[in-house]
Amino acid sequence: MLDDPLVLARLQFALTAATHYMFVAFTLGLAPYILVTQFIAVLRRDAARMRAVRFWGGLYLVNYAMGILSGLVMELQLGLNWSGLNEMFGYVFGAPLAVETMAAFFVESTFLGLWIFGWDRMGRWAHWACFLVVTGTAYLSAYWVLVANGVLKWPDGFRIEGGEAVLEDPMALVANPSAVMAFWHVASTALLVGGAVVAAVSAYHLARRNDPDRMFHRGVRAGTVMLILGVMPTVITGGTQFSLFGKEPPTAGLTYTADEIEAIEKASDSSVATAFGAAGDMVMMSAWAMISLAAGLLALVWLLRGLSKWRWFLHPVVFLPLLPYAASIGGWVFRETNRQPWVVRGHLTTADAMTDLSPAMALASFSFFTVAFAVLGGATLWLLARFARRGPEGGPLAPAPAEEAEPAPVRTF
Amino acid sequence: MDTVPVLFLTGLVVGYFVLAGCDIGLGMLMPYLARTPTERRRLVSAAAPYFLGTEVWLVGAVGVVAGLFPELKSALFGGLWPVFSVLLAAWLLRDAGLWFRARIDTDSWRRACDALIVGGSWVLALSWGAVLAGLIAGGAAPSVFTVACTLAVAALFLLRGAAFGAERLVPAEAGEAASADDAGRLTRVLARVALGAAAVTAVAAVLPGAAAIERPLALAAAALVPAAALAATAGLSGPRLSRHTSAVAIGSAPLLAAAAQALPLDGPPAGVLALAGIAIVPLVPLMAVGQVGLYRMLRRPAADTGFFASPPAPALPPRRRAVPDPAIRG
Ligand code: HDD
Ligand code: HEM
Ligand code: HEM
Repeated sequence: MLDDPLVLARLQFALTAATHYMFVAFTLGLAPYILVTQFIAVLRRDAARMRAVRFWGGLYLVNYAMGILSGLVMELQLGLNWSGLNEMFGYVFGAPLAVETMAAFFVESTFLGLWIFGWDRMGRWAHWACFLVVTGTAYLSAYWVLVANGVLKWPDGFRIEGGEAVLEDPMALVANPSAVMAFWHVASTALLVGGAVVAAVSAYHLARRNDPDRMFHRGVRAGTVMLILGVMPTVITGGTQFSLFGKEPPTAGLTYTADEIEAIEKASDSSVATAFGAAGDMVMMSAWAMISLAAGLLALVWLLRGLSKWRWFLHPVVFLPLLPYAASIGGWVFRETNRQPWVVRGHLTTADAMTDLSPAMALASFSFFTVAFAVLGGATLWLLARFARRGPEGGPLAPAPAEEAEPAPVRTF
Repeated sequence: MDTVPVLFLTGLVVGYFVLAGCDIGLGMLMPYLARTPTERRRLVSAAAPYFLGTEVWLVGAVGVVAGLFPELKSALFGGLWPVFSVLLAAWLLRDAGLWFRARIDTDSWRRACDALIVGGSWVLALSWGAVLAGLIAGGAAPSVFTVACTLAVAALFLLRGAAFGAERLVPAEAGEAASADDAGRLTRVLARVALGAAAVTAVAAVLPGAAAIERPLALAAAALVPAAALAATAGLSGPRLSRHTSAVAIGSAPLLAAAAQALPLDGPPAGVLALAGIAIVPLVPLMAVGQVGLYRMLRRPAADTGFFASPPAPALPPRRRAVPDPAIRG
C-alpha cells in the first residue's frame, strides 16, 4: 500500500489537514474569549483580568505557531501534490485561497505581531482593537478556506471550457450553501473547543486550589457559558448540512454525463474511506451527546455553587477537551471521505488530480512531513500543557521580571 | 488591467525578499555574529519579531500565484518540485526554531533551536537561489550556472542580514556592541563576495548549454541594477548605505527571472479579478497600517527580552495541593 503514491498523498493530506484543524479550532475558540476578557479588563481598568489575558494569550500564541506551520505545509502541499486540481480548477479553487492569504492571514498575522509587541507601548483601546482585528480576520480566514472547500463538495458558479473551470458567477461561489453551512457549523463547534479548553485548564488549577486573581474561578464559568451557547447551534447547523446529501450539485453533467459519473463511482473502491467516514460521523454525534450532558452538568453544579469547590467534579472536567477535538476530526473525516472518489464532485477524480509523483518522491515527502509534523505537533501540545499547568507565572507573555545579572560574556567558537 | 495583478504580485515578491532577507540573513550569520548566550538571545530577539511580519508577504504571494496565476504555479512547481519541497522543509524547521526557542529554559533546547534557525536559514536562502537559477535557466539541466547563481543569491541574503544586524544588534542600553560592529564590517566584505559571485554567474550563464535564456539582453540590463548596488556597498560607502543598497540588490534578484524568461503572467479572467478585487482592496489600508505600525514599533534596537527571547521563568508549581486556601475549605 505504501508504494502507491496516491494512497500516500491522500494520507499525507489527511494527516496535515487534521493536524492543522486541531490547532485552528483552538484559535477560533479561544479568540472570542480573550477578546471579551480584554474588553472588560480595558473598560474597567482591571489589572487582574489583564493578567488573565496575558495567560490565555500566551497559550493562544503557542498554539498559533503550529496553526501557521501546518497551514503553510497544507498550502504548499496543494501546489506540489495536487497539481491536477490546480490545472482544472486553478482559478475557481485558488481564488478564495488567494483572498484568504491576502485579506485574512496577512492582516491577522500583522496585527497579532502588533498585539504581542505593542503590549506596553500602545494605548489600551488601540491594543484591544488589534486583537479585535485578529479575531475578525481569523474567522474571515476560516470562511474563505471553507469557500474553497465548498467548491470541492458543491461545485457551482463556473462553466467548463476546454476542460478548465472558468469562474462565471462569483456570487454563487461566495454564497455556496456547502461553504456557508460549514462555516456556521465550524464557528459553533469552535465555541465548544474553546469552552472545553478554558473550562478544563481552569478546573485543573481550581482542583489544586490555585486561583490567582480569581482568574480560574471566572474561567470555569466562562467555559461553561461557551459550551452552553455552542451546543444547540452545533446540532442545528450540523443537521442542516444533511440537506445537501443525495442531491446533485448545479454543475453536475458539465464535465461527465450522468452515466459516466455513475460508472466512475461504481468502479471506485472507496470501502475503506466509507468506513472511516462512518466512524467519523459516529464519533461526532456521540461526542455531541456527551458534550451536551457535560454542559448541563456544569450548569447544574454552578447553580449548586460547587463549580470552584467540588474537587471530585473538577477532576474529570480536565479531560473534557478530548470530546470536541475528537468530534472535530471525526466531522472532517466524514466530510472529506464522503466526497470520494471525487476531489471535485462530478468533475475531477482524486486519482486524476494527483501530480505524477514517482513512488520514491512520494515516500520521501510523506515520511519527512509526517515525522516533522509528529515532532512539531507533539512539541506544541507538550508546551501548551506545560504552560497551561504552570499558570500565569512565567507564561510566554508574562511581563519580564527585573533584569538579572548575566554571567560575564565569554566569546566562544 | 492585466498589469495590476502583475504589479501586485511583484510587490509581494519583492517585499518578501527585501524584508525576509533581513531575518533570514541574520539567521545565517548567527554562528559568526553571536557567540555568547546574551548575543545569541539578542540576535534572536532582533530577527524573530520580523519573521511574523515578513513571511506573510510570501504566503500572500503564494496565494496570489495560486489564485490569480495558476499557469505560473504549474510552471513553478512543475519543474522545481524537489527544490520547493526542500524550501518548504527548511521554512518549517526554521520557523519552529524561532517559535520554540524561548519556550524552554535549558541550554540544550536553545542549542537545538539555534541549529534549526541557522540550518533552516541557510537551506532557505540556498533554495531560493536554486529556484531563481532554475527559473532563469528556463528548465535547462543543472550546471555550473545553477551552482554559481545559487551561491550568489545566498551572498545577497548574507549581505542583507549583515546590513540589518549593523542596526538592530546594538544593545538597548549603551555598552559594547561587538555584534553590530562585526556586522557593519561584514557588509563591505559580503558585497565584494556577492559581486564576485555575480560575475562568475554571468560568465557561467553564457557557457554553451548552461542556460536557455529567452531574453539575454533584458537579463543583462536588469542585472546592472543589483550589480550597481553591490558595487556601491563594496566600495567607499560600505556599511553606511548598506541598508538601502542591500535592499535594492536582493529585491531586484527575483525580477531577473522575469526579465530572463517570458513567465506565464497572463492576468486572470474578469470574474476572478472582480472577486479578488472586491474582497482584497477594502482591506489594503488595514494591511498597510498594520505593516507600517509593526515596523515602526520594532525600529528601536532589540530588547533582550520579549515573546521570542523571554528571560528564565520560575519553576513549575508543585503538582498537587500546594496552596491550601482556608477560605474554601469545608
Ligand atoms: C465539536 C465538534 C463537533 C460536534 C460536536 C459536531 N460536529 Fe458536525 N462537524 C464538525 C464538528 C462537530 C466539523 C469538524 O467542524 C465539521 C467538518 C466539516 C464541517 O463543516 O464541520 C463537521 C461536519 C459535519 C457534517 C458534514 C457535512 C458534509 O459532509 O458536508 C454533518 C452532516 C454534521 N457535521 C452534522 C453534525 C450533527 C448533526 C451534530 C450533532 C449531533 C454534529 N455535527 C456535532
Ligand atoms: C477546508 C479545507 C480543506 C480542503 C480544501 C481540503 C482538501 C482536500 C484535498 C484536496 C484532499 C485530497 C484529495 C482527496 O482525497 O479527495 C483531501 C483529502 C482529505 N482531507 Fe481534506 N481538505 C480540507 C480540510 C480538511 C480537514 C480539516 C480535515 C480533517 C481531518 C480533512 C480530512 C481529509 C481526509 C481524511 C482526506 C482523505 C480522504 C480520502 O482520501 O479518502 N480535510 N482534502
Ligand atoms: C477547516 C478548514 C480550515 C480552517 C477553519 C482554517 C483556518 C485557519 C486559521 C484560523 C488560521 C490562522 C492560524 C491559526 O490561528 O492557527 C489558518 C492558518 C493557515 N491556513 Fe488554514 N484553515 C483551514 C484549512 C486550510 C487549508 C485547506 C489550507 C490550505 C490550502 C489552509 C492554509 C492555511 C495557511 C497557509 C495558514 C497559515 C497561515 C498562513 O501562513 O497563511 N488552511 N487557517
